[in-house]
This record gives sequence, structure tokens and C-alpha cells, in this order.
Amino acid sequence: MVVTFWYAYGDLVRRVLLDLVDKFNAGQTRVLVKAVHQGDYYEALAKLRTALAAGVAPTLSHVVLEVVPYLARAGVLEPLDGYDGATELAFVPALAQRGSFAGSLLESLVSVPFNRSTPIVFANRDVLEREGASLPRSWEELALLARRLTRRGAGGDVRWGFEVPISWWYWVAMVGQAGGRLVETDGRVSLGGAAGERAIRFWQRLVSERSMRPPPGRDYQAWQSTNESFLQGRVAMMWSSTAHVRYLENNARFPVVAAPLPRDLRASVPTGGTMFVLVRAAPDEEKRAAWEFVRWMCATDQTIAWSTRTGYMPTTRPAVERLIESGWYGSHPNDRVAYDQLADAEPWPWVPELFRLERDVVEPRLEDAVLRGRDAHEVMAEAREEAARPV
Amino acid sequence: MTPRAPWHPWAMLAPTLALLVVFFVVPIGVAACESFFSWDLLTPHRFVGLANYRALGAHGEIVAVALRTLAYSSLVVAGTVALGLALALLLDRPGRLFAFVRASVFSAYVVSWVAVALLWMWLLDGNSGVLGALLRRLGANPVSPLGDPRWALPTLALVAVWKLTGYAMIIFLAGLQGVPRALLEAAALDGASPVARFRYVTMPLLAPTTAFVATTSLVTSFQAFDVVRIMTQGGPARATELFVYEIYEQIFLNLSVGRASALTVVFFLLLFALAGLELRVWRTRTGGPAARPKPDGQDRVRGLQ
Repeated sequence: MVVTFWYAYGDLVRRVLLDLVDKFNAGQTRVLVKAVHQGDYYEALAKLRTALAAGVAPTLSHVVLEVVPYLARAGVLEPLDGYDGATELAFVPALAQRGSFAGSLLESLVSVPFNRSTPIVFANRDVLEREGASLPRSWEELALLARRLTRRGAGGDVRWGFEVPISWWYWVAMVGQAGGRLVETDGRVSLGGAAGERAIRFWQRLVSERSMRPPPGRDYQAWQSTNESFLQGRVAMMWSSTAHVRYLENNARFPVVAAPLPRDLRASVPTGGTMFVLVRAAPDEEKRAAWEFVRWMCATDQTIAWSTRTGYMPTTRPAVERLIESGWYGSHPNDRVAYDQLADAEPWPWVPELFRLERDVVEPRLEDAVLRGRDAHEVMAEAREEAARPV
Repeated sequence: MTPRAPWHPWAMLAPTLALLVVFFVVPIGVAACESFFSWDLLTPHRFVGLANYRALGAHGEIVAVALRTLAYSSLVVAGTVALGLALALLLDRPGRLFAFVRASVFSAYVVSWVAVALLWMWLLDGNSGVLGALLRRLGANPVSPLGDPRWALPTLALVAVWKLTGYAMIIFLAGLQGVPRALLEAAALDGASPVARFRYVTMPLLAPTTAFVATTSLVTSFQAFDVVRIMTQGGPARATELFVYEIYEQIFLNLSVGRASALTVVFFLLLFALAGLELRVWRTRTGGPAARPKPDGQDRVRGLQ
């Protein structure tokens, strides 16, 4: 049975995934997984939606967390509760579907954690030691340290203190840290209220103090640019994804040190990455075959291989326990930071419009506010108005 | 020529008309219908009246996109025409060296937009690109024009001009071959300076060529997608969100077919109005569609008698 699997990675992560797919295919004869690359997450999602509408979707794919509630409401995802062993998979609670989302409308199990991550601080240890500085634990410490680490040379060279993509994921982290939430318990979309504005004002402050470099480009181009600045030594500290731990450690010419995101009023961090989903319209046999592959990927050996070779979080408890027992976290403290930070993970609201809030309502306005210096209250009031507009 | 039967011209036109109807009229009609609905490809259609248009009008979003697209197109058209003409005049000379330079300039046109965009991203990168290195060598602060909302759009226009100039140059070179030498020599004998010969002989005779280059550049610039998609994705701060990219973003990234359709309709109307305006100007300047320049172009040479 051939199972088509659409995936969305490049570089190291892609190689690791394809290795695992090859291993699965070589280890049995019942199922042949054909992994097909579809660009970045958003390109892959665009293609998946179009293919779903046209009735030519693959059996298996993985999608960003924020779009799962929408796809579930659209009825295109296969409910997984009845599949062999679905209820027995011992996921890390904060990374499973039921821990990743919160809300009374949470439906049946339709997604399984695959490559999961959180935002995290990365810093150049050499720079920190030279400056006698330690990693920031609060926003205020971050602002001070970013200023302190910024150096402008006579030849026009700049080493920035701090860099972070001006994008949704990091803003959501800051909303949580400032004590807000995207959707209130009564279902009202508040976009964090005052906390959402406070997050923007903090970014505006760092940019105006010229201690933070806003990276060019949007979406993953900005992420890539941020990583490159860091690896080239042009920025001393950045926020990026735990997914890049291994890539950064392997490619930096200096020791990389990770730390949890700083607090404002409290510690808070969103989870990210993608979830495996099965397409409901696919033939039953193919779905069962795809599930066999998903289960295999969730087995301890594969979970550990995936996590340790990429930096994504281990998604099952047995995998975490084995990593602890084997001393992995002792020798890889940056991975430990990422895992420990899950204690502060904030679940996403299970609302179908979550993806629209990201793409259409908030994301385009963040740069507008930070780079053009627009009033944070005005921008967020506009965003809330847009969020309330019926689609 | 009189057709033998009234339906003969229609029969001749039928294949083209069929293609136009299937690939242009019907899709525009479908987009117009979709613009009154909320639809995301996966959930059922819901009639929303003019809500998609109102959403586009809110906060001046549609006006901003239209102005940005017009600004980008103006820069591309002006730059392509001016640079293409200048290079054609400079390189309209015999010899292998000039042939090599002409081929080099034209080569940019045959490179794909994706390759051009990637090349310029590297050149313009403030960190590791040529521009950054150059500025650092000069002791200036390295800048990333693609990361600055003030400079991103002119930078994209510059890239488009760089790519399209070779094509414009070739068309102008062809146009220059149609300028009768006798007229230029007569003008020189009358004492006209090189500037006056260009102003009163060459330019009027190149008017149809200029119009062609301007129109093709305009069409290409309005279709700008690849450079935006690869170089800026509409950013920073929406500074490079042009019509076609915005339509793509709404339908494929934001899951909003209705909003994208409303944008398509507005874009179509804008192009329709521009095409009408261009036709009107063209007819006014040429005295109507029947007024064609004489083959030797003598009716266009003014101011030398």
C-alpha cells in the first residue's frame, strides 16, 4: 500500500525526515511511504487546501498548529480516536492535541504531535563572557542587555544586541508574558488587550533604542535571516525556535547558549511546529497504512532520533524518560532548556478563526506598528475590529 | 475586403474568442460572483453582499495597495523606457564590442525572475551581500534596503528595471533602424545639433516604439509576483504588497477566496480604466485609430522647416 505524505522542511530537518521514512520503508513490506516536499509550512498548507478542494489530497500531511481547529471544523481531518493504539500513545501533555489547545469546542482527536517546538533565547556565549553578562530573565533585563551588547564600529560595522522576527509567534509569547490571552474565557477575541499593545511597545522601544535589528523579509525568510545574523556574529542574542538548536550548534563558530524566554508579569510561551493529520476523504486502507507510519514515528526510537538530530521536542513521555536516563540532557543543556520551558507553555485557543487571526489580523499589523512607529493602541484596536468582522 | 457571408468574420474570430471567453471572461465573471461570498475552499459558500469590498475599503487598505502598485509600475515603466532608450542610442553602433555589450545587457531579460530575485537578494543583503560589504568599506552603516519600508518598493522596481531594460533596448534598437538616415542628414545640414536631431527627428519617429515598450513594461509591472514573493513577501510593513501578490496572499495564505476575488475585481477595473485612458491619449495624439504614421515618417518631423 502506497501512502503519499506531503511534508514541508528544508536542509537538515528534511534529511532527517527522509532518513526516517527510508528506514520505515525498509523495515516492512506492507506500506510504502512516498514523502513529497511541498515548500515551507504556508506553501504546503496552500497546496493541501487546494488539493483537498480538488479531491486530490494526499493521505498524510502535517500542518501548523494554528490551522488544526479550522481544518477540523471544515471536516477534512480524519478522527483518530478509533485507530489502533491512538489512545495509548503517551504524549508529553503540553504537546499533545488536548494539551496544545484549550477551549470548550475541542473536538475529537484529529492530530498527532510531530515536530513540536517553543520559542527560546539563543546567545553567543563568547560575547556574554567577554561582557561579563548573563542571560536576561525579564523584559527590562533584555532591553538593558541588548543595549549593552550592541556595538557600532568606526567602519560602519554593527553588532546588534538582539534580533527577533517581528512575527506572530513571538508576539503571542510576549502577550502571554504580559499577562494577556488571545481569546478570553467567554470566547471574545481580545488579542491580549493591553498586553498585546504592551508587547508591541516593547519592540518599538528596542528598535528605537537601536539595540534590536528587525530582520528583513517575512515569515520564514525573516527567521532565516535572524539565524544567519546570529551565525555570522552580527547579533549577540536572538529569539528563535528550539527547532534550530542542532542547526545553530553545528554551524556556529562560537558556543551557543540557550535560555528560556524572559518574563514580564509572568513566564509564558506558546508551543509551535506541526501536527500529523490524516485526510478524511482518503481511502480507508490508505488511512490505516498512514496511521501505521504515524505510530511508528511516535515510537520511542524514532521520537528520540527525530528530536536529538534536529532539536525539535521529544513528543512522548517514554522518549523523554529515556533521554533523561541516558544523560542526553546533561550533555546537551540547550535541549534541556527547551524541554523545561514546557512548564510555562500556554495552550492555544481552540477556535476555527485562529489561523485567520494570525495571518490576516495580527501578522500584517505587527511590522506596520514596529517599523513605522504606529501607535500600538491604534494598531491593536484596528486588529480587534478586523477580528470581529464576519468572514 | 467584403466577406462572402456575414458570419465568416465571426467564424475566423471564433477560436480566439473562445479562448478569451474561457480563460478571461469566465474567470473574471466567477471572481465577480465569488466576491459577494465568504468562502475558504473547504467550507460552504456564504453570501455576504458587499462585505468583502467594505473590508478592503476599511483603513484604506485597497487604496494603499492600488497606490503602491501604481507607484511601482510608474518607476518600472519610466526606468525601463529611459534606460532602454539610452542604451539603444549608446549601443546602436557596428562592431563586435558593441554587439557583445548589447548581448550582455539583453541577457538579463532571458534569466528567470526567480534567479534574478535571488541574485539581487544576495547583492543587497546588508549583512553578507555586496552592498553591505561596499558600504562597510566606505565606512558607512550597512543597510538592507529590502528591510526598510521606505526603500523596499523602489528597490524592487530597480530589480525589475534591471531585468526589463535589455528587452526595451532591443525594441528601441529595432525602432532606430526605422529612422531614415536621410532625415537625420538633412537635419544636420540645416544646422540641427545632435540634441535637436534627437529631439525633433528621432524621438517623434520612435513614438510608436516608446508606446510599445511603455505598454509592455506596464503590463509586466502590474503582473509583478515573483520578485515580491521571493524578495519581500509583501513586507516590510506591507510596503511591497502589490495587487497580484495581495490576491495570492488572501486566497492561499489567508484562506479568503471572497476577499481575493474582490481584490481581483478591483484590479480588473483599475486596469480597464488605465487601458481606456491610454487608448484615449493615444487616439488624441495620433488623431484617431485611422491616423497612421507614413512609412517614411515625414509627417511627424516637425520644427525643422
